[in-house]
Amino acid sequence: MKHGRFMVGLVGVAAVITYLVWTGVSTTMVYYLTPSELMERVEADPAFRDMGVKVSGKVVPDSYERVEGGDLLHRFVVHDLEDPTVTFPVEWRDALPDTFSDEVEVVVEGRLNTDGVFEATTLLTKCGSRYEAAPEDMAR
Amino acid sequence: MTMVLGVALVSAAVVLFIVQPVVKGLHASLEREDDELTDTEARKRVALLALRDVEYDFLAGKLDDEDYRSLKSELTAEALAALEADEAARAGRAGTAEGGTAVAAEIDDLEAEIARIRSHIRSGLVCASCGYANEEGSRFCSSCGTALGGRAAS
Amino acid sequence: MTVLGEFALWISLPVALWGMFLGFAGGRTQRGDLVLSAERSVYAVFLLHLVASIGVIAAFVGDRFEYWYVASYSNREMEIFYKITGLWAGQRGSLLFWALLLGLFSSVAVFQNRNKNREFMPYVAAVLQTVLAFFVVVLLFAQVNPFERLDFIPANGQGLNPQLQNYWMTIHPPTLYLGFTAFTVPFAFAVAALLNGRLDARWIVLTRKWILTSWLFLSIGIVFGMRWAYEELGWGGYWFWDPVENASLLPWLTATAFLHSIQIQEKRGMLKVWNMSLVLATFLLTIFATFLTRAGLIESVHTFAQNLTIAYIFLGFMGTMLALCTVLILYRLPQLQSENKIESFVSRESAFLFNNLMLVGAAFAVMWGTLFPLITEGVTGQQISVGPPFFNRVNIPIGLVLLALVGIGPVIAWRRATKKNLQRNFSTPFIVGLGTAVVLWFSGARHGLALTTWSISAFVLTIIAIEFWKGTRARARIEGEGLLKAFFHLVTRNRRRWGGYIVHVGIVIMFMGFAGAAYNVDTKHHVMPGDVVEVESPMGHTYELTYEGLSVSIGRGQRNLMWQMIASVSVQVDGRPTGILTPEKRSYVTAQQPMTEVGIRSTPIEDLYLILAAVDDTNAALSADASAQGIDLQVLVKPLVSFIWLGCLMLTLGTVIALWPSADRRRLESEAVDAAPATAGA
Repeated sequence: MKHGRFMVGLVGVAAVITYLVWTGVSTTMVYYLTPSELMERVEADPAFRDMGVKVSGKVVPDSYERVEGGDLLHRFVVHDLEDPTVTFPVEWRDALPDTFSDEVEVVVEGRLNTDGVFEATTLLTKCGSRYEAAPEDMAR
Repeated sequence: MTMVLGVALVSAAVVLFIVQPVVKGLHASLEREDDELTDTEARKRVALLALRDVEYDFLAGKLDDEDYRSLKSELTAEALAALEADEAARAGRAGTAEGGTAVAAEIDDLEAEIARIRSHIRSGLVCASCGYANEEGSRFCSSCGTALGGRAAS
Repeated sequence: MTVLGEFALWISLPVALWGMFLGFAGGRTQRGDLVLSAERSVYAVFLLHLVASIGVIAAFVGDRFEYWYVASYSNREMEIFYKITGLWAGQRGSLLFWALLLGLFSSVAVFQNRNKNREFMPYVAAVLQTVLAFFVVVLLFAQVNPFERLDFIPANGQGLNPQLQNYWMTIHPPTLYLGFTAFTVPFAFAVAALLNGRLDARWIVLTRKWILTSWLFLSIGIVFGMRWAYEELGWGGYWFWDPVENASLLPWLTATAFLHSIQIQEKRGMLKVWNMSLVLATFLLTIFATFLTRAGLIESVHTFAQNLTIAYIFLGFMGTMLALCTVLILYRLPQLQSENKIESFVSRESAFLFNNLMLVGAAFAVMWGTLFPLITEGVTGQQISVGPPFFNRVNIPIGLVLLALVGIGPVIAWRRATKKNLQRNFSTPFIVGLGTAVVLWFSGARHGLALTTWSISAFVLTIIAIEFWKGTRARARIEGEGLLKAFFHLVTRNRRRWGGYIVHVGIVIMFMGFAGAAYNVDTKHHVMPGDVVEVESPMGHTYELTYEGLSVSIGRGQRNLMWQMIASVSVQVDGRPTGILTPEKRSYVTAQQPMTEVGIRSTPIEDLYLILAAVDDTNAALSADASAQGIDLQVLVKPLVSFIWLGCLMLTLGTVIALWPSADRRRLESEAVDAAPATAGA
């Protein structure tokens, strides 16, 4: 199709969209790590703390405490799914999800600060297993 | 036992239902029906719709005189070509009844509508300067005040 | 009954395959008996799936827990309504439900066309049966058979996730599936046209109505999902760029693109290959959507479990279809050449092309963002996450351009728009848009994106209002009618155009609603009974919320409910009492943790949204300890959320108008059908 000027405009717009998508991914994507991986990376490169990351782990039993005061502040400790000895403390300033409890699988997004505390900006509990139950779970 | 019976019944019914045509030689029609839209009719319809919309747009003041004339001549040429093509196709399909189809009725309606709009325009009631369609008996445009009845769009 | 249903599912496979082979063979050899058999098999498969579905429902209603599916999604105490709708509560049943709806639409398509479009129908039936056969293969061989039995009979089932026991969640899957499955029919017609070479102006007429109907169902389904999330997930949000949400959006975007670019093909005979590709892409995307939700490859709020067999079957099917369709299009390329070319950058063709570019661009962006984490993990092993920041970053600019095009497209001239034409049509709306921006700015609204959205919305609404006004007035002059009658006739004489305008009004209103989120208010308070919380709304109202207290209700068996903790909050708006809201926490027998039920007060301009975030001491409260009444109350004010639901209503109204057959055509069509010689039809 020889549409000269028109094709230029079309290609231009397509280019802009491609640019937005490309840079969009690289600027907003977030590494999804396990606590062990997070610790490794921070040890290897302390500057890694500045990157926003997403970490999945489980809540260590009895680690939850609610800090009193007007603001909603919660603290708890998360351990690695594979290796329960690798842990880090998390601070979260918002309502807790209903499904939050000991040993529940959580996904936190945020930054590990210099004190070693993970300041979470997002907190999700995973309830994916709700949809498929193993036959053993059925009451006989 | 009822289960086996039920299963047998359902299978038998289904098999009979779908195999019957092949066995008994029952045929579904594969020919185009008389009242169906043909390609040339479809094009004719689209051309007339476009023409009608142009007339309306001019009447509603969305097109100015110049745009209206040039668009109208282009579309009229297209509509004529589509009409001729359709006539040729009909001649080719000798014997098909005309005027009994839904599309033919719609096309007649469209042509009548276009004719009505044109006569309104022709009567000089569409203002040449702003395109506003005025009431019967107006001498000056109610929208912009210019005197009417100058150039009537043909 | 259930055993019969299981059997019905099994024999639907050979029947579907029979129909597939005979349809293609009959079309190729032009043998009417083969074609009739194929068309009958379409009805047969639908009926068999109906029996199968009834079988599943019977198992639910009869508490037949030896079936894994029933045990997983039901229990004795559950209400009959959720037992019946349990058919689509989980992965397996929903696949059967999908097949059922597909069978329904296939039957409607075959029945509607028993006396017309006969050159297409052999292949249409064949393609429909191919897709149906695929779904039956999945159901029977990918470990997702709803009739699978356990080797023991559990005493009771697990029950349905309480978050799914909600009106919206029950009707959201069906409406969405109606949209998805309906797209298979235009796809079948497209393939049939490619096979028989009838790629002329009639194909457009055939496919357009089906695509519009499917599009309507899909739109409604998506908005219902948003409504469910808003009411049930308890976060105050309605869209999260969740992979499953994205999957439902993808075919919607391409279908919208098709609805617009098809007009270019109709008027100017251009973009034939593009349009054909859009129909195929839309269908493939609906299969992709099922695939995403079934294969569980991406973590999301919705996902069901992981299952590799099913992944391979789906990928295999999609790949094969994609390859076959590409070959077909290439084969027919000579007949798909454009008849005209684009004359000007500034024309309606150009506006529609940009509209398509934006929509398809958005689809690419959403697809990329959804699949990128998968691809990265596959290639580098590194898991990453792409979330709302990405999707908003790309889609908001695209959305704004689209919003502007909604106004420009319908009004700019075909072929080439002269300067005069532009001035005439756009000066007033432009001024209104600009004026709106100024007025909003001076009223204190400073959020750039929201301001832009609302100004463009004003621009577009002005254009549409003027269109209606000019059109009505012109018609009143011509026909000598009163304005009201003229308006009515205007719309009914050209339902596509004016119905389309109403749909656009709906879209604009929805965008205005989305932009309201820029002014969301979100505050948290710890309160004891008697405490008053004051919240200012961005619209200027003051809400005074008095926490009256916490009441506890311990019910048993009723909807699987163990207990409810209800916070009573009396609401005063600008000093006037307006009632009581009751945000709750509920605990169900079937769930381990409590669920939140929010309290919403909706007005046209904003929603007051209350969440019982936490109870100080749950156990004490449950023991009726009068002193344990402290709670954390989260108060959200969400401006313009009602606009979203209202916009959806307008969208529905406009589409129904556009779809409504005109009275004369209906009458004449039925007369013609009666007169046609009766063939040995089904």
